[in-house]
Amino acid sequence: MATTTELLQGTLDLLILKAISLGPLHGYGVLLRIQQISGDKLQIQQGSLYPALYRLEHQGLIESEWGESDNRRKAKFYSLTTSGQRRLRAEVNYWGRLSDAINLALAAVPGDL
Amino acid sequence: MTTKLRSFLSALVRGRRLEREMEEEWRFHLDQRVDTLMASGVSRREAQRIARVEFGDPLRWKEEGREARGLRLIHELRSDVQYALRQMGRARTATLVIMTTLALAIGANTAIFTLVDAVMLKPLPVPHPEELKQLVWIARRSGFHATYNGSARSNAAGERVATSFSYPVITNLRDHATTLSDVFCFDEPQQLSLVHDGAAQLVDGQFVSGNYFRGLRVDAILGRTLGEADDKPGAPAVGVISHRFWRRAFAEAPDVVGRRITVNGAPVSIAGVLPPSFFGVLPGARPDVVLALAVQSAFDASTPPDALTRADRWGFQVMARIKPGETVGRAEAEAEALIRQAILAYAPAAAYDPPRIVLDPGDRGLANLRREYSNPLGILMGMVGVVLLIACANIAGLLIVRANAREREIGMRIALGAGRWRVIRQLVTESVVLAVGGGCLGFAITYGIRHLLPVLVTEGSSTVDLDTALDVRILLFTAGTCLTTGLACGLLPALRATNVDVASLIGRTLTGTLTSASRRWTAKVLVATQVAFSLMLLVGAGLFVRTLLNLRSEALGFKPDGLLIFRVNPSQSGYPAARWNNVYERAVERIAAVPGVLTVSLSRYAVLAGGSTRDGIGVLGSESKPIGTYIHYVAPRYFETMGIPLRLGRDITWQDREQSRHVVVINEALARTLFGTAQPIGQWVIHPNEKAADAMEIIGVAADAKFSDVRRPAPPTIYEPYVKLPQRLMTFAVRAAGDPEGLSGSIREAVAAVDPSVPLFDFWSQRTQIDLAIRQERLFANLVSGFGLLALLLACLGIYGTLSYSVARRTPEIGLRMALGASRHDVIGLVLRESAGPVAVGAVMGVAGVALAARVIQTMLFGVTHDDTSTLLGALAVLLVSALGAAWLPSARASRVEPMLALRQD
Repeated sequence: MATTTELLQGTLDLLILKAISLGPLHGYGVLLRIQQISGDKLQIQQGSLYPALYRLEHQGLIESEWGESDNRRKAKFYSLTTSGQRRLRAEVNYWGRLSDAINLALAAVPGDL
Repeated sequence: MTTKLRSFLSALVRGRRLEREMEEEWRFHLDQRVDTLMASGVSRREAQRIARVEFGDPLRWKEEGREARGLRLIHELRSDVQYALRQMGRARTATLVIMTTLALAIGANTAIFTLVDAVMLKPLPVPHPEELKQLVWIARRSGFHATYNGSARSNAAGERVATSFSYPVITNLRDHATTLSDVFCFDEPQQLSLVHDGAAQLVDGQFVSGNYFRGLRVDAILGRTLGEADDKPGAPAVGVISHRFWRRAFAEAPDVVGRRITVNGAPVSIAGVLPPSFFGVLPGARPDVVLALAVQSAFDASTPPDALTRADRWGFQVMARIKPGETVGRAEAEAEALIRQAILAYAPAAAYDPPRIVLDPGDRGLANLRREYSNPLGILMGMVGVVLLIACANIAGLLIVRANAREREIGMRIALGAGRWRVIRQLVTESVVLAVGGGCLGFAITYGIRHLLPVLVTEGSSTVDLDTALDVRILLFTAGTCLTTGLACGLLPALRATNVDVASLIGRTLTGTLTSASRRWTAKVLVATQVAFSLMLLVGAGLFVRTLLNLRSEALGFKPDGLLIFRVNPSQSGYPAARWNNVYERAVERIAAVPGVLTVSLSRYAVLAGGSTRDGIGVLGSESKPIGTYIHYVAPRYFETMGIPLRLGRDITWQDREQSRHVVVINEALARTLFGTAQPIGQWVIHPNEKAADAMEIIGVAADAKFSDVRRPAPPTIYEPYVKLPQRLMTFAVRAAGDPEGLSGSIREAVAAVDPSVPLFDFWSQRTQIDLAIRQERLFANLVSGFGLLALLLACLGIYGTLSYSVARRTPEIGLRMALGASRHDVIGLVLRESAGPVAVGAVMGVAGVALAARVIQTMLFGVTHDDTSTLLGALAVLLVSALGAAWLPSARASRVEPMLALRQD
């Protein structure tokens, strides 16, 4: 197994939004999708997905609907709402600026000062 | 925000389903994971184990899931409430005492608030009540009216403030106003005798203008209301009846429209039935029959046929709707201009100032009852508020004692990691649950007695019919009171109880912790508070009881004992006006012959029953201003029957009627005012606006006697022979040799011998009549005494409880003292001293409170002032003796402590 990284506080919501933005998913699907798109590098305690999902739903960023999974079982599918799409764009933007800034800061060498 | 609220509410409502869905979702997740793991070659058992470990603790996710939906508080609240209920089940007696206390206190508050709501707050049950305004005029000199009928008072500037207008003035406003729509008017509600199906009864009726119902936007639920066509001269008499009367007299017959009833002897056909919620525009009155003003003179002998055309006869109250978008200021200016213009048009003879016009809010109906009772209701509200405060202090004291007993439990919970805030919330939840329980009980009691409440705002024997039905304001008030009470009695004990030093608590016994001193101090403050408020209520009770006693023993000027009174109305049996006096005289003859009857007479009004006619009286030929005088229409032997001494001259006799000259008897107050010390007999007096031929010769002077109000001194009164003006309703007064009640049977027979179809109303003794006249005072005295006693009981319970607890805690110390030689007396003194402090402080605070607050009840007192020292001392004595009694029991118990047992107890 490749080295995994503990999730930074507050980034789980962003990852869930991103995962769902690629198409409606059930809870387990969200987990798989995040692992897939992050190249299995992120370690998530699986159950913690659910309070995060409920929180996002409570905020109106995602919505849920009962449907049928690939193996024909009843499952709850989450999809992004319009305000969820807006939030995702804003978060991605913010994350980009933040990581740029931090990368820049960390790349500093004594000669730069 | 709205999505969150929606999601929270749906979570609240569908809580259980959401929990099930969560579990189902997670089962799917685990199954999927197990399948994946098994596909990679792991055994089913091992796969299940791994999946569960990877998933983590479902309880934690569940808790976090609830929190994510804002449900955690609710969930905890639910378990807090369940816990509180279990606690209450465990301490049954304490729970019962607390709930009963709260039920009484909250019930009393709800009851008085129901009344405040009905009198002061409830809007009229009509569409857009906020548009309704009542017209009021203000003038220094009001010579623009020749006669005035209705309510009037003086303002601080000495101007007359009144609400009645003349019909032509009103129509000018109605026809030309652009800022007001629906200018409608009405007469004061009055008693009418009504016959249908041969049964006669007295009902409240009212005469209104043809646009009254349109203006109020009230429709009939059956038939129609009155319209403009019913209010034209010569229109047939039609009436609308109240829903209550429809039910009572017609058993809600659907074919009631078109039926005929007889009102004051004249036929009326029923046009429609009013909705059940509608009571007119005057809270407290609920006319059963409403007729048009145009037909009033046919039913009401006191209304002349030209009542609606005379511009100087001011006697109708006016309401109007202000048009949407108009300001009150503009409407007032316009109404003022139109009314002044109408007055100019008829050029009043007397000097006057053009009246200013004010539009009073009419959304809650006419202000009569509100103005009259805002003070008494405020006082009652304040008193029940004080009762509630005492109850809160009392319960807080009890809860502190209980919290002490639970100290270890609470300490343990805090030690185990429960936050202080969490424990406080749980303790406060308990007291709120108690308060809600007590509140529900109190509310139920109030709901049961809500029909009795209007008596509190009844003065004299008239009935006040208020809508005390439950409404959202009452519910909110009670709910708010419960919550506030729960918080008020729970917060302090909870703060105190959770202020514990955990480390010192673990492993220690119950007695003595670091904070117990400050907690005892809190208990003392609570006792002092209860004592202070109880003293205030006791003083209030004393003052009201003395008022009642003073009213009861007030010299009336006549002898009420042995007097029997009743009313007779021959017009209801179809007698024309010309024959009424004949019926009265024959009845007098028959009654006089009844054995046991000393004398019998009759008068237009019963004494101290509220009714009266007032007019000016002046000396014939004199230029001086007429004296405002009560006019009492009486028959011969009236003074003898009532027991009013004649000071000068002679009584009116049956023979005086045959003579052409009018004779009268006046009372001493009027004689003094008109003639000073001069001889009044043989002088001539006259009402203003009457011709010299109507002047009356004074033939006698009677001693002063109270007429319409026990509280006021006998007013200037003129006794005119009743035969002068035929009256459809007369009051008989019969003086009996013995017990008057025993004669009622033979008196009824005597009247029946004249005509069995003539009914007798209001048949009771003059004493009963007086009791009716002071029933508000009686009720106040009873109620406030009740509140005072309740407060005293609670305060004593508080003293007893606090002291008992303290004695229990100090048992080892007391044992030690006794072992060292303290006598029983020393111990009793020791314990009594502990309660003396708070009681003394409370008493001082109470005296200060009385000094500050008692003045507000001065207007309701009679024969005693609010700062009456003997009442204060009496209340203080009652309080101190009761407090001593309450403290005695625990101290006596302390003095019986066996030293050796007590020392070993720990």
